[in-house]
Amino acid sequence: MKYIDTLLLFLLLTSLFLFNVPPSHAAPGALQKAEIIRLGEQMYRQGILPSGKPMPAFIRGDVEVDSSAFSCSSCHLRAGLGSYEGGVVTPPTTGSKLYKPYRRPPSMGDTMDQSGRHIYAKTVQERPAYNRTTLASAMRFGVDPVGQTFNDVMPRYPLSDSDMSILIDYLEALSSQPSPGASSTEFRFATIITDDVTPQDRQALLMPLQNFIDRKNQQLAMYSDFIKFGYIPTAEMKYAFRKASLDIWMLKGPPATWQKQLTAYSTKKPVFAVLGGISNQNWKPVHDFCESERLPCLFPITNFPVVSETGWYTYYFNKGYAQEGEATARYLNRQESLRDEKAILQIVQDSEAGKALAAGFQSVWKEIDRLPVTTVTLTAAQLTDQGGMNKILSTHSYTALLLWTDARLLPNLKTMISRLSDQGIVVMSSEYLGKNMAAISENVRDRVLLTWPYRLTPYVGPKTGQFDAKVPTLTSAKDYGDRRITSRSVTMLLQATLQGLNRIYDNLYRDHLLDVMSMQMDLTVRDYERLSFGPGQRYVSKGCYIIQLGPGADPALIPRSEWVVQ
Amino acid sequence: MINPFKTIASLLLLVLMTVMLPSSPVHAESKKYKRTVEHYTLPNVTLINQDGKKVSLQSLVKGDTPIVVTFIYGTCTTICPVLSAGFVNLQSKLAATGQSPRLFSITIDPENDTPKVMKEYLKRFRAKPGWDFATGSRADIDAVMKAFNAYIPDKMSHYPLNLIRNPKDGSWVRLFGIMSSREFLEEYQGVVGK
Repeated sequence: MKYIDTLLLFLLLTSLFLFNVPPSHAAPGALQKAEIIRLGEQMYRQGILPSGKPMPAFIRGDVEVDSSAFSCSSCHLRAGLGSYEGGVVTPPTTGSKLYKPYRRPPSMGDTMDQSGRHIYAKTVQERPAYNRTTLASAMRFGVDPVGQTFNDVMPRYPLSDSDMSILIDYLEALSSQPSPGASSTEFRFATIITDDVTPQDRQALLMPLQNFIDRKNQQLAMYSDFIKFGYIPTAEMKYAFRKASLDIWMLKGPPATWQKQLTAYSTKKPVFAVLGGISNQNWKPVHDFCESERLPCLFPITNFPVVSETGWYTYYFNKGYAQEGEATARYLNRQESLRDEKAILQIVQDSEAGKALAAGFQSVWKEIDRLPVTTVTLTAAQLTDQGGMNKILSTHSYTALLLWTDARLLPNLKTMISRLSDQGIVVMSSEYLGKNMAAISENVRDRVLLTWPYRLTPYVGPKTGQFDAKVPTLTSAKDYGDRRITSRSVTMLLQATLQGLNRIYDNLYRDHLLDVMSMQMDLTVRDYERLSFGPGQRYVSKGCYIIQLGPGADPALIPRSEWVVQ
Repeated sequence: MINPFKTIASLLLLVLMTVMLPSSPVHAESKKYKRTVEHYTLPNVTLINQDGKKVSLQSLVKGDTPIVVTFIYGTCTTICPVLSAGFVNLQSKLAATGQSPRLFSITIDPENDTPKVMKEYLKRFRAKPGWDFATGSRADIDAVMKAFNAYIPDKMSHYPLNLIRNPKDGSWVRLFGIMSSREFLEEYQGVVGK
């Protein structure tokens, strides 16, 4: 039966190609517009046909590929405005761009390159406008309206008329309306602060944000003066200067009410993107709101991000506490003395932080096929109950203790370590201990490992995070407990976000901002060794050292692992 | 499970497309890649494959069968999927004659490409046994790229490269650019000596 279906489909497709029937607009006529867009989006983003099967595709003439690995959005990106990567210019693919003549920006394929790189980078340089018929031919045969052949990296998709019509409908709708909160003259932003944040921390965030907005507006004023005096700007310049405003979306009360508050703010005055934000509570309600509203949220200060492989709209610095737990799992996995999982005990403080650290550890531990370790969750009171703790530790001769607790445990640490096997070690989170980290007694420091998700090597630049070779900050080693709110926010604004805003030009789509930001080169910043990007990557700092403390009240931080533990 | 009808239908469709449009890329078989023969000294590094297993690069490449090496990364959207599609096709074309090529992709995004990411990548491309994907410390990955004269400081500026080691004399056929699957097969068979 299945074969007969396939045969019929083949005969149908064959007849379509033989008579070269232009795709009928009415083919999926029975479908509602919303359903067409949903099916088209599924083809565009995932390479899945309305039938649920993968879209067939061919590259370089005879290489058959599975289009779930070659979906349109892979290269043309989610907003459809194209990309530039690895010497390949991928042109825009939205209806509004396709139905106009196009001339692509120059690429290295235009000139001879000694290494011969042009041979794969060459793309069609100029073409007239498409219509639905020529667009269908372009996708099927890889030719533009005047018969120029596409670059070999563009797959050819032998789609049926009905499927083709759905995809073209989707392309026509894709990025057809500018996103709310932006216009040719203005960007509106907001930042999100919850009511548990101290006034000092709030100030530490707002200072660089307000400065950023003021600077943008000041630059606009200067630019306007230049124009008055007869200066003729380049096309790109005018996109770099827009009025900017910042609203503060204060969230009060329990997290369950945040969504409602956010909806009220957003409805009253929509914004193009959320610039940073800060909370000591779980960021999930804000994350979920931004996903549902398709609103970019750029680098909030939080130790509780949503750790997800599919989250799209929020960029995080890292996975917060979960990242420290993950690094611990990878580090312990390398230790030959810890092959026996029974020798590892995880003590988790019954708190959001303790649970996030444990969850990070367990996710990687499971991923690398290790057996679960014994885990005990204790309240703050139980942590300081020495008798109870002794009882727990007497059940087995442990070699490693993971103590996902705050500093209240530190007075007991020496006794606890004495109950471990000879070479036994303890792992704790520097972020959770905060400023109390240096209170770890000197005589046990050789047995205590700490997770350290920040830079350890020298960085040249002032504490505000902006690059300035004249003001060296040679180390951040003494900054334990510093939340780095200002410096990280400056990084977010001036290194990651501004690049994105300047490069979207007049394509004012939120998805495009995220697309452009994801294709950035790696960044060297003050607080992290390296920030790296990539399509779909949303946690830009991937590292976390395992360190030990040197002697003294102001101890050196001694790395015991690389930045990225593997 | 491969549906034979689907494959035949796709192929016939392609033939029809070829007949109808003389400018179809199926005809564009002129060589679009650059071929050289090189000698490389590889660093003594240990990489980690998609199963989390340690792999010594020097011992891996040795052996009496050729090995094909590429540099890719898991979330790449342009060149890498094309290179990987080449691997998939080489595997299936050689499988028809009972051969199983040794294929080795090395990540240029070691911070993001964990064994889990690499394993899922291979699964997405329906890789058969014989194709491994490896990560390592950034320093080691940089050393490997430099040894192959393929160093790039940032993954966003990478380029398509296949390297085939000839087991007879340890030389490498360096193939720069995108090959059709037929060209790739011919280059591979050339090294095998068939």
